[in-house]
Amino acid sequence: MSETAASTDVIQGTLDMLILKALSLEPMHGFGIARRIEQTSKGVFKVNPGSLLVAFQRLERDGLVDASWQQTESGRRAKVYSLTRAGRRRLDEETAQWTRRATAVARLLKAEG
Amino acid sequence: VLRHLIHGLRVLLRPGAADRDLDDELRHFVEEAAAAHAARGVAPAEARRRAIAEVGSPVRAREAVRDGGWERWVSSGLADLRLAVRLLTRTPIFTAIVIAVVALGSGAVTTVFSAMNAILLRPIPGVEAQGSLVAVSPSRRDGSIGEQISYPRYAHLRDQGRSLDGVAAWGRVAMTIAGDGAASTVLGNLVSANYFDVLGVQPAAGRFFAASEAQPPGAPVVVVSEAYWRDALGGDPRAIGRTMSVNGHPFTLIGVAPLAFRGVYTGLVVDAWAPLSAQPQLRPRSSLAGGTWLWSFGRLRAGVDREAAAGELSALTQAHRQALGEPSEPDAFDRMQVAPLTGLPGGTRGALAFMSVLLGAAALVLIIAGINVAAMLSARYAARARDLAVRTAMGAGRLRLIRHLLTEVALLFVLGALGGFAVASAATAGLERLPLPGSISVTLELSPDLRVLGVAVAVSLVAGLIFGLGPALQGARRDITDRLKAESAGGGTRRSRLGRVLITGQVALSLVLLVAAGLFARAVDRGARVDPGFDMDGVATAVFEPESWGYDDTRTTAFYQALRDRLAAEPGVRAVGYANRVPLMFGSSVDAIEINDARRDAHYVAVDAGYFDALRLPIRRGRAVVDGDRQGAPRVAVVNETLARLLEPAGDAVGRTFRFRDAAVTVVGIARDARYASLDETTPPLFYVPLAQERQPRRALFVKTAAPAGVATAIAAAVRAIDPRLPPTRVAALRDETRLALFPQRAAAIVTGGLGATGLLLAMLGLYGTVSADATARRREIGVRLALGADRGAILRGVVSRGLWIAGPGVAVGLLLAAAAMPLLEPWLFGVDPRDGLTYAAIGALLVMQTLVASYVPARRAAALDPVRVLRAE
Repeated sequence: MSETAASTDVIQGTLDMLILKALSLEPMHGFGIARRIEQTSKGVFKVNPGSLLVAFQRLERDGLVDASWQQTESGRRAKVYSLTRAGRRRLDEETAQWTRRATAVARLLKAEG
Repeated sequence: VLRHLIHGLRVLLRPGAADRDLDDELRHFVEEAAAAHAARGVAPAEARRRAIAEVGSPVRAREAVRDGGWERWVSSGLADLRLAVRLLTRTPIFTAIVIAVVALGSGAVTTVFSAMNAILLRPIPGVEAQGSLVAVSPSRRDGSIGEQISYPRYAHLRDQGRSLDGVAAWGRVAMTIAGDGAASTVLGNLVSANYFDVLGVQPAAGRFFAASEAQPPGAPVVVVSEAYWRDALGGDPRAIGRTMSVNGHPFTLIGVAPLAFRGVYTGLVVDAWAPLSAQPQLRPRSSLAGGTWLWSFGRLRAGVDREAAAGELSALTQAHRQALGEPSEPDAFDRMQVAPLTGLPGGTRGALAFMSVLLGAAALVLIIAGINVAAMLSARYAARARDLAVRTAMGAGRLRLIRHLLTEVALLFVLGALGGFAVASAATAGLERLPLPGSISVTLELSPDLRVLGVAVAVSLVAGLIFGLGPALQGARRDITDRLKAESAGGGTRRSRLGRVLITGQVALSLVLLVAAGLFARAVDRGARVDPGFDMDGVATAVFEPESWGYDDTRTTAFYQALRDRLAAEPGVRAVGYANRVPLMFGSSVDAIEINDARRDAHYVAVDAGYFDALRLPIRRGRAVVDGDRQGAPRVAVVNETLARLLEPAGDAVGRTFRFRDAAVTVVGIARDARYASLDETTPPLFYVPLAQERQPRRALFVKTAAPAGVATAIAAAVRAIDPRLPPTRVAALRDETRLALFPQRAAAIVTGGLGATGLLLAMLGLYGTVSADATARRREIGVRLALGADRGAILRGVVSRGLWIAGPGVAVGLLLAAAAMPLLEPWLFGVDPRDGLTYAAIGALLVMQTLVASYVPARRAAALDPVRVLRAE
């Protein structure tokens, strides 16, 4: 598949932010989040389900996301994650910080070139 | 953090549920992914295959999630523990020996710490929140501390002080209590009304004192200890409210103190309490208007520190002195010291130093035990080398392996600590039974408590870490080939060389302990032979408290007179004397005297005419106290040689005067210098004043007799004949009574002796093990030598000399260490040289002997080898 060829692992340390961002629109189950990250990044990032689940556990324990088991439309049991208030705050902080850093890096690279 | 904890705990408690959730989530993930592929037109089977490929191994995902939480550490720790238990139960003898050795070492530390805890650290039994309780004692400008204060001073501090939440006071009083049965004399306290409140003690039955009962004139009420209530009153609840005779006065029993509470000073067991207002009846010769006979303590107000409280109380004291017009001399007790209330009169410093030395000795035993265990573990891991190597080869991380080995060590040491706790319980029970000399009403409750258990386990774990880490690191060495090489090519010498050095160290340490024990034993011996300056042979003594019988001065004088006359008439009695205290019991009376306008402190004893005869205390010049030195006669004193020398520069001391308590006292005689408060004191300037010129109802009787066997009965009978209502008299030989003087040395000799013997046993076991392992390793060589016709005696000597080579340097090092460390013991040695050659030589020889014995057994076994069988076995 062409997507697979182009995809890379998520940049170290940004997975949490990406998950929070995905959840900021609506509560979602695990696969939904993975797909959202892939789609929104136009297939640049591909998320390994293993690391995703580890990240969910971490975020849940940090109180940034809530999780609950729900029935999906297809009648399956799915664990649905939603953002907590603390999670939203954290997302804002991380977004601001990331933007600042990314701009700085971009500027540096431009100057170099 | 809490959320992490809860999540983790949930996983730990229901591991299956967490895994199931995870599996569900993964399955859902796969299904969704498959559905997504299918939606893009991929055939269902292919879609599913792709989805599974994308998600990857569910096992790895599960592992990853599990590793993410802290609970992983717990569950792998538990797994380590389970494995350790399994492996240790597989080698029960090894396990039992290690635990026993740790128990001995840890037991030594625990025993001493337990005694230390009981004497120095444990809160006063029955008292609440001891941390904020403080002793309030008068002190001088130079920091020296007095013990007691007067009632007016106490009342001033109580009423004006702001830094304490309550100040209480108490004084000692002998109480002769008679209910229905026979009278008995107990130690009582006269206390302020708030005494129990400040301590936070609640009555076990009845009630304590009301404020009105402590204000003069007060009410004749008394509280007794639960022990007294049970023993003397049969534990009868109806006894409360009953009237009893206390020192001849009717008192109403209003309450019972709880079982644990026996007064403020641990060891000085109090059986009855009465309000201070009862002083006129119970302690008529004292007064609330003056006289310093009250100990004082209080509870710090929250937020006030001791320094601030001392500052405030000192200022109050100075103001009070000024208001009373007391002169401000440089040596006046014009400030107050505020120190933690420890349950030991006079603070804990001396006892702390002494106990620390013993604790150090116990720590040596633990080190010796630790070395033994390290050697055993090292051997165990060497035996398990293959198993460990395999685990390494299969990918067990080095850290993981060390953790596993240390878990095993920790388990062994914790079990050892529990064993040590049991050892300590038994040992302290034994120490408690150690007869305390003399008549002092002291009970020691040394048994370990939870704090001791905690410390025992903690100390053991630290020891386990120290002595287990080396073997564990060695056992977990990564390089398999290295290890295998070391195993086969006799490269194990490195380990056994280390082992030998450790044994040498053990021998050295146990020698140090034994030298200490030897020195203490010499000190006991020396102390027992110290010439006190008087003759204790055939002297019986008894102490009387006529005040507690309700006697007034006239009756008291008549009683003592009658008793003396009766006893003097007994067959075999050579002399009868009285004094206000028994010598060598650590008590003393000090007061200022003036010689030619120069003030100095001197000790004094009040004695009667018979005292010098009863104790064979020689008069060097002049005369002794005589019967004529009575109230109203000129004030006289007999001085000891030390005080005489201070008087002498201006001519013969006899006939000279000095001022004592604002009166001129004429020296009429000089007595030989004698020990007074303790056996190792430097003789203080001391003088004897006539008892008849002191108002001193409490007296010690001394009867010198040629027939010591019957004298106790004779004294008791004489007392009964004078007044049949009096409580029974306790008579003791003066020599037994004064054994107290040697008690610390005796206890130290027993404790260090026990520790030294334990250390020696462990060291010799280690030596035996090493020598026999060495001999076993050399079986082949020995076999060859025997086959070649070597003399069996030479083989025997060879193995024994190996043992000597290991222990010999230990003996030498130990002697040097002892020579360096023993001066620490000097304060308790009665002048025995801490480098006493005889002791060192004897202990050194003892260790060499032990070494010979420990190496002889493996040596004989080696010499008895059958060369043919040894060589065939190869």
